[in-house]
Amino acid sequence: MSAHRAEPLPVALLLPGQGAQHRGMAAELYGQEAVFTAVLDEFFEYMGEEGCALRDEWLADPPDLVIDDASRAQPLLFATGYALGRSLESRGIRPAALLGHSVGELAAAALAGVFGLRDAAMLMRERTAATVEVPAGGMLAAAASVDELRPYLDSDAGVNSVVVGARNGPRQTVLAGAEPHLSSVERLLRHHGVSCRRVAARQPFHSPAMAHAVRRFERAFSTIEMRPPSVPIWSTATGARLRGEQATDPAFWAWQLATPVQFWPALDAMLTSRDFLLAETGPGQGLSMLARLHPRVRQGHCEVVPLLPSGADGALRTYRAAVTRMKQNNP
Amino acid sequence: MTLEDLRRMLADCAGEGDTVGIQDDISDTPFTDLGYDSLALLETIARIERDFGVALPEDLVATLDTPRSLLAEVQKASVSVD
Repeated sequence: MSAHRAEPLPVALLLPGQGAQHRGMAAELYGQEAVFTAVLDEFFEYMGEEGCALRDEWLADPPDLVIDDASRAQPLLFATGYALGRSLESRGIRPAALLGHSVGELAAAALAGVFGLRDAAMLMRERTAATVEVPAGGMLAAAASVDELRPYLDSDAGVNSVVVGARNGPRQTVLAGAEPHLSSVERLLRHHGVSCRRVAARQPFHSPAMAHAVRRFERAFSTIEMRPPSVPIWSTATGARLRGEQATDPAFWAWQLATPVQFWPALDAMLTSRDFLLAETGPGQGLSMLARLHPRVRQGHCEVVPLLPSGADGALRTYRAAVTRMKQNNP
Repeated sequence: MTLEDLRRMLADCAGEGDTVGIQDDISDTPFTDLGYDSLALLETIARIERDFGVALPEDLVATLDTPRSLLAEVQKASVSVD
């Protein structure tokens, strides 16, 4: 569908996080898209030995990695999102806003110059190292609102409580927490007829169980130089515009790891401020599908363009068609 | 069950409430274009069972691409109950 508009829509990049990863994601672009390839190579180099191993696993045919584990998913989600953003810029497509889900918010920060790529690679290594120390757990997507889910959540379990990990849509909520509590809540929900499904994650991101990782992650941020964002970021940590003093605060980024992803409030605030062409900048089409629930998209004022397909195949074709569409929007 | 019933259910799943939803004919619009992933469809078939007494297997969700295809499955399943 291409709408004919009097004015081009400004572009907002939606950068996905944990749950969006899949084997071979964006791998078709490697070696074919020059800027994408160069940026990824730079990232892997900055990650050192771990980076070499990660690249080899990612590109192996068939891909040879436990993709859902945070040690693989997180850096790859960050790097592919960031590299796609730089690739778009090299085609003359500059975003007017950025919105990142979970680790996608770090990619947004890097694209907006909050920190550089070398420091980002160090941060991703530290994020992985910090996450290894966290209790086993996961995330559970439920087709229900936060209010409907509240009676099933137990706040007595302390740091291992099951909590709302993400507000993705009006009736699209992700719960997060350590095991065995998450499985208990899942059983209870199914017993009461609430449709739910596990998110591909092995760690309890965005729950109090991540508190173990927060301190280490904060120390990593305190060693680097940070600047206010040069592109507006709609923060899913707060549901509002990211302020300069937040963007340069190590505690803000560290706690983002353990607090809920306010995707829907941030998206709603962004689309209430103005209309955008929303380009999902990372693997899969999960954020595109959520965005299509928003009234401004439903009513045709905003457009959604995923840059990549749901699976690994056809990534190059989809990416190039998306770029063509975006150039049509704003030649 | 009619297309209108399905539209209403899909709107509920999206949490649309009183806000204006899609006005155009959506029968042949892919669910993904409407923002409905497989979890939303799982919930929809659970609602269909509750409200219309028609049971559809969960693994059907992977094969449904449009509202028209879902309605066809509901009609097939209702006929076989008699």
